[in-house]
Amino acid sequence: MTRYLTGRIGQAVLVLWAAFTVTFVLLQALPGDSIMIKFENPELGLSPAQILEVRARYGIDEPAVLQYIHTLMGFLAGDFGYSIETGTPVLQRLAEGLPETAKLAAGGFLLAVVLAVTIAFVSSYTRFAWIRGVLLAVPSLFISIPTFWLGILLIQVFSFQLRLVPVIGGTEAQSLILPVLTLAVPISAPLAQVLCRSLDAVYTQPFVAVAQAKGASRQWILWRHVARNALVPTLTVAGLTFGELIAGSVITETVFGRNGIGRLTEQAVTAQDIPVMQAIVVLAAFVFVSVNLIVDLLYPVLDPRLAAKGRVAV
Amino acid sequence: MTITESQQAGTTSLTTPTTKAQQAWPETGQQTTEPPRTDAGGRVTEGAPAKRRRRIPSIGLILAWAIVAAALLWVVAPGLFTAYDPISGVAAEKLQAPSIAHLFGTDALGRDLFARVVHGAVHSLSGAFIAVAVGLVAGTSIGLVAGSVGGILDAVLMRVIDVLLSIPGLLLALTIIILLGFGTVNAAIAVGVGSIAAFARLSRSEVVRVRRTDYVEAAFGSGARLPIVLLRHVLPNSIAPVVALAALQFGVAILAISTLGFLGYGAPPPTPEWGLLIAEGRNYVATSWWLTTFPGIVVVLVVLATNRISQWIGGERA
Amino acid sequence: MSHSSSTYRSSTSLRRRTALIAGAALAAIAMLSACASPAASGAGGAASETGDPVTGGTLTYLEYQPTTCLYAPGTGFYPNGGLLNQITDKLTYQNPETLEIEPWIADSWTVNDTATEYTFVIRDGVTFSDGTPLDAAAVAANFDAYGLGSEELKLPISEAINNYAGSTVVDEHTVTFSFTQPSPGFLQGTSVIQSGLVSPATLALPYEEQCQLKNIVGSGAFTVSSQVVDKEVDLVARDDYDWAPANSEHQGRAYLDEVKIIVTPEDSVRIGSLLSGQADYVRYVQAFDEASVEGAGFDLYAPQTRGVNNGLFLRPSNSILQDVDVRKALQAGTDTQEIVDTIFTKNYPRATSVLSSTALGYVDLSDQLTYDPDKANELLDAAGWKAGADGTREKDGAQLSLNVFVAGAQPLSKQTLELVAQQWTKIGVQLNVKPADSGTIAADIKDAEKTALNHSMVGRADQDVIKSQFHTENRDVILSNDAELDALLDALASEPDTDARNAKVADAQKYIIDQGYAIPFFEEPQVYGAANYVHGIGFEAVGRPSFYDVWLDKK
Repeated sequence: MTRYLTGRIGQAVLVLWAAFTVTFVLLQALPGDSIMIKFENPELGLSPAQILEVRARYGIDEPAVLQYIHTLMGFLAGDFGYSIETGTPVLQRLAEGLPETAKLAAGGFLLAVVLAVTIAFVSSYTRFAWIRGVLLAVPSLFISIPTFWLGILLIQVFSFQLRLVPVIGGTEAQSLILPVLTLAVPISAPLAQVLCRSLDAVYTQPFVAVAQAKGASRQWILWRHVARNALVPTLTVAGLTFGELIAGSVITETVFGRNGIGRLTEQAVTAQDIPVMQAIVVLAAFVFVSVNLIVDLLYPVLDPRLAAKGRVAV
Repeated sequence: MTITESQQAGTTSLTTPTTKAQQAWPETGQQTTEPPRTDAGGRVTEGAPAKRRRRIPSIGLILAWAIVAAALLWVVAPGLFTAYDPISGVAAEKLQAPSIAHLFGTDALGRDLFARVVHGAVHSLSGAFIAVAVGLVAGTSIGLVAGSVGGILDAVLMRVIDVLLSIPGLLLALTIIILLGFGTVNAAIAVGVGSIAAFARLSRSEVVRVRRTDYVEAAFGSGARLPIVLLRHVLPNSIAPVVALAALQFGVAILAISTLGFLGYGAPPPTPEWGLLIAEGRNYVATSWWLTTFPGIVVVLVVLATNRISQWIGGERA
Repeated sequence: MSHSSSTYRSSTSLRRRTALIAGAALAAIAMLSACASPAASGAGGAASETGDPVTGGTLTYLEYQPTTCLYAPGTGFYPNGGLLNQITDKLTYQNPETLEIEPWIADSWTVNDTATEYTFVIRDGVTFSDGTPLDAAAVAANFDAYGLGSEELKLPISEAINNYAGSTVVDEHTVTFSFTQPSPGFLQGTSVIQSGLVSPATLALPYEEQCQLKNIVGSGAFTVSSQVVDKEVDLVARDDYDWAPANSEHQGRAYLDEVKIIVTPEDSVRIGSLLSGQADYVRYVQAFDEASVEGAGFDLYAPQTRGVNNGLFLRPSNSILQDVDVRKALQAGTDTQEIVDTIFTKNYPRATSVLSSTALGYVDLSDQLTYDPDKANELLDAAGWKAGADGTREKDGAQLSLNVFVAGAQPLSKQTLELVAQQWTKIGVQLNVKPADSGTIAADIKDAEKTALNHSMVGRADQDVIKSQFHTENRDVILSNDAELDALLDALASEPDTDARNAKVADAQKYIIDQGYAIPFFEEPQVYGAANYVHGIGFEAVGRPSFYDVWLDKK
């Protein structure tokens, strides 16, 4: 077990390092740089000579290898550097944005699960074929709508037309309602699809027929066998949905003007704020690796049969 | 580029040993011994005792094919559908509501929106096609090799895929666009790179499944070399779910390109690309609703259609 | 403490100049009120309000973009200026109606005849919000930083201040600035947002620190109470504020208790929030939203930016545009009336010169800026550009194809450029409108081959504004290789006599249009929308909001 854990953690660290390096190389290759973007902004009215001077002062033209070593050492020491755009420490910007995004992502994910479970269970429990047909089409519809479009439509309808929820100046909870819904819709789609298929699959299993023959009610079968069996694939999707939560939060936070990691990402890309982008990638990779590590470790707990098979993993 | 990551639930992330497909999926009943198959949407498809499916295609499926066919016709012969110029408009006829003359209305520069949607099909569909092709070719190659060769190469390739997954897809896509420059093809490549991981994982798990079947073991047993076995046995037998994923990704790619347009990284004007039409029409949502609604409906219909076809390829036909 | 005009001493040359400026300004107002009548009908400032101002309340103001670096000389960017205008005061006040320079933190001033020495008498009793006095020494420290920059602190030099040599603190209330050459623009330069006065403690910080709002300590009517970077800034009124410009009717503290400045980049969300009552006042109402804002009974404000007009700037160092006839042809082949009619509204008057008709020193050159596609075609034919197979002209195997970047800072830049491209196809010219990320733009915009044209504008209510845009040592939008143009601009920037200076500004405008360096589109306003219970809305000379006079009549 310990060896397995060490191996898994080792792999996770390797993936983190590789993500860092790949990003560093990509970002180095970008045309222009943040100093250029910031100081050659005509609003500043700097002359070409002054700009050259600024570049020299910032040492932006240091060889890439040296910059790589400096940045990597910095990250290892927990120093993510300074945002070139705002001049504030990157760590501070991440710390400001993280709680906002965490709230949004957690809310979005929970609602997505609720939506998915509702769709899956109602569609498999209902006796009416047409309800089932409609519900099964819902996930496809959900992933056919661009997230930003959904967000804007929700704001228009619920905030501006019906005036149910304010987008400006509401309470914390009010300000979360529409963004959470916007984020949850596309995420619920794959979850619902997996659940529906799992439920279907289990229903066709002979043991369900046996249980039915023995007089078990539909509900009992649903909860006793089917739900348990559907849990693991759902968890798998949940782990993988993480990337989508980040992408979704970029869009959602931009539409709703929320101040989180997503919006920070968009702004950092726009300003080519390389220290911030680098830190976001490392943060995202870290969370991704951790979530999946946890999901993997959870499988045996949720499903004793897997535990019994032993950990054959490398 | 984002949904891709979750589309494919067939395997879990970091541990991808050769038995992973089996491990990640619990048997769905005590009697089953085969690991369940997964299709494109990460959905579990039934094993041998499949539910009885209708042989006659449903109305929905016929409709789906009709929509895709219509979109393809727009690509091939846009002139048949509209006489208007999608690039140059009549400035005086700006922002007209839908009418007989202008089915979808006109935009802020007086261009016919229907003409822009029809002529935009070639950009959007080729963009989506390229995106899927990038993911399909690169991802499937990696998956095939990893799944067939196994061992250290498998482990290394799958770690590479993990790295791809761990970098936020949108950030990766934006960075690639900045590197390659703005344009439909470059945006498509950026979106395609984001789907490599999904294709790689799916194809790998399929290969692992097929490899363990008796006939492949038999082929190896009779002395066939690996590339031959791959081409003649593994690939044909593992391709259906991958094709289904490709069909699904087609819709996903259209949406992803649209999202890039929203963030200001879309095709250069005056390209009438669908995603860009939706993204730019959004500013007029309160004043000229048709600008974002009609392209939006077209995209939703096409994406729904490809989803439906994807399901058919991945599940019902099998 | 009242400041009557009797405390307003000035040298003879200044008095004469002031009269002239006032004359020019009157003409400008006449034109402004003609152009901006829809704005004026909403509420034209405190004077036209009915009822007495009410103290108290919170204003919710939606801003289009987040602020960037808030070091004062770099705050020409509207979100920066809009914020800094509330928390800093200026040495002088430029009356937005007359464009005259009036006393503010300076009670009075004198200028020598050659405009190389300025002496200001500083008002008594002004303090920064950290309690330190705003005295002559503090003023000197500010202008030393803005005029000279700082090697050590990485401070760049302000474009609002030319030829600055140094300061002398005569006594606690008197400071003298000297210049290496005549600097007639300096007096106006002390009134602009880029010359906002900050505490010496702020000035002692390095550039990166001075960029951050939390470090900016001003003497303004509001102070920052809380900030969420890139999202929201909350301001509170300063109770002890008692140094509004002397000529202001309103003295003492601001009427509002609080201002919430919330960044809302999505156009539809910003406008929707205003119309649904979630916000009181928004910046950047897009042209296509103006009708719905007015239609719903809200007020539009469209103050002009009074500088170099929004337009295309043509680069003579580009291999195609080095031919003046090609530049003139593009000028003649652009239908600016169609641009204004199709994309914009009456708040965006069609340009009649490089400078706005509300700018100082403006001359009407509309005769030379008429749409004439026939003339354009003739010029291009004569220049050797013959119609090619696909309709685009060719010469020596090269296509008449030019690149321009979409300018994110300009209103509806993309649509405008698309329309220009559409117009130019009629004269056989291909315009490639390129959206791009800021890195690519920053890398390519300095290359005339890759970026033949530049879409921009600049606002400032001083004759120097034209120099800011075109001089090789300032923004240099055309990447000029024209020494004659630089000489013209240098001459206007160091001419102490206002008449002579305006004449030189006129020369520069004529030269720029004659040389085909510019295709001016329209006179750019800043368009704001507000609920009708928001009163006392005012702007500084180039359209940045001031919340000092604002009060709410919310039932």
